[in-house]
Amino acid sequence: MTDTVLSVRGISKSFGGIQAVRDVSFDVQKGEVLGLIGPNGSGKSTLFNCVLGQLRPDSGQVTINDHKVANMRASHLNKLGVGRTFQQLSVFPQMSVLDNIILAGQEHKGSMASRLFGPSDAGLTRAADQMIAFFRLEHLRDEMAGSLSYGQQKLVDAAMAFMAGPSLVLLDEPAGGVNLTMLGSLKDRLETYNREHGTTFVVIEHNMEFVMSLCTRIIVLAEGEIIAEGAPEEIRANQQVIDAYLGG
Amino acid sequence: MSEFIQLLLSGLSSGSIYALAAVGFTLLWQASQTINFAQGEFVMIPAFFVLALSVKLGFPVWLAMPLAIILSVLILGALFKRLIVEPMHKHGTIPLVIATIALGILLKEMVKEFYSPLGQPFPSLFPQDVFSIGGAAISIPDIANFTIAMGTIVALQLFLSRTRTGRSMQATAQNPDVAEILGVDIKRMVMYTFLINGALAAIASILITPVYLAKFSNGEVLGLVAFIAAIVGGFNQIRGALVGGLLLGVVDNFSAAYFSSEYRQALPMILLIVIILVRPQGLLGTSEGRTV
Repeated sequence: MTDTVLSVRGISKSFGGIQAVRDVSFDVQKGEVLGLIGPNGSGKSTLFNCVLGQLRPDSGQVTINDHKVANMRASHLNKLGVGRTFQQLSVFPQMSVLDNIILAGQEHKGSMASRLFGPSDAGLTRAADQMIAFFRLEHLRDEMAGSLSYGQQKLVDAAMAFMAGPSLVLLDEPAGGVNLTMLGSLKDRLETYNREHGTTFVVIEHNMEFVMSLCTRIIVLAEGEIIAEGAPEEIRANQQVIDAYLGG
Repeated sequence: MSEFIQLLLSGLSSGSIYALAAVGFTLLWQASQTINFAQGEFVMIPAFFVLALSVKLGFPVWLAMPLAIILSVLILGALFKRLIVEPMHKHGTIPLVIATIALGILLKEMVKEFYSPLGQPFPSLFPQDVFSIGGAAISIPDIANFTIAMGTIVALQLFLSRTRTGRSMQATAQNPDVAEILGVDIKRMVMYTFLINGALAAIASILITPVYLAKFSNGEVLGLVAFIAAIVGGFNQIRGALVGGLLLGVVDNFSAAYFSSEYRQALPMILLIVIILVRPQGLLGTSEGRTV
């Protein structure tokens, strides 16, 4: 086992005549927080979906924790130690916050018999309560997730992504639509989790302030290709990146 | 007053059986967006499984009934999903709806052709005794049917809310894409829903057929009532289907007694139209946003 959690090699993907991603390669090391940014239509989401096995690339290969992910079902990817958050809200609205978070961890535990006849919390209530406390959601523990504010649901979504103890978490626009107060809280929690558990993050984000302050390394995509890669301060100063964003 | 209580209890009894069929209807919709217009025939068929096993093959009734439930789970649950729903679902909701209508006709005609077009006597699980409370005549089958149907629905609700599998099934119904990403085997959860619907239909069949006799056309009314009950209560809520079923049973009984037996079958339709106009999400349902 190497320290490389995610390896992307020569990924290309086109839709009809449009080349969405062109020969993209990069590695992500254990504990790293990688930002994937780029203007609209740069291929970020396509690349993200190829990494998650939801799109089959035309060529290239994605390896997570030394396993090839091509054609892998989402449920298997989860068991491989991959968590993710969503651009759209992804909580289960008619379940309590506690049930949402237990659900996110329960599929890794027990036999089929224990799923049917074992304790309904799969022994996870304590761990779920710890996760709820970590994301400071104690006052919402028994509320229906669908009744929470957008920002609160984003925090529940993040808590769910971490519940199964993943080694890699892909965050799809975690800051989208979240107010400033909640955003500070989300960033603080993500940084703390990364520091305490050494979990690797890959973040797609439009909010530059958020991504620059959270990530340790940033890859910039434009027209399906990597045009820059480096630390946040290097990216800020990169003329090619500035041109890509300003349309220069 | 005694007549009112009598009608109310009898309505609740038949309504609770309608609710079993309506809950199955709702479960299939929630888990797989399947609108099963053969649901009435699914309630009609298990009675013929019981008759075939007991009358034709000589099994005792006490054994034929559980065997019929198992057969229903396998044929109306697993086989229905594999042979009809899975191949048709990829073509969209409407082709699947049409396929279930065709299946309903096929099942009806098969029973007529291969078993009998005549109503067949069906054994009741309970003595046909009647006892009196405050002047109201209460029949034991009414009380027993209500108790079993409600017990089944409560047990189902407990299964869904108090077991890990139930939680996974709820997650699959509410957001299948996210459920799968969280590791839920959504194909298996959807299959469980179809198996449960097969069992619910069989229990409803065993409870209601002694009242109507076993006849190929029983599904026509039962399917319509289950559909209306699910819509009236709220298509996306089990408790909505329960309330819808009970309401229809009671309205049916009261309308026949106090209004007109000729308009008895029209009243559920009137109720349906009023609910769709006034509260389209149903009495207990919640609005669903759809992106088009």
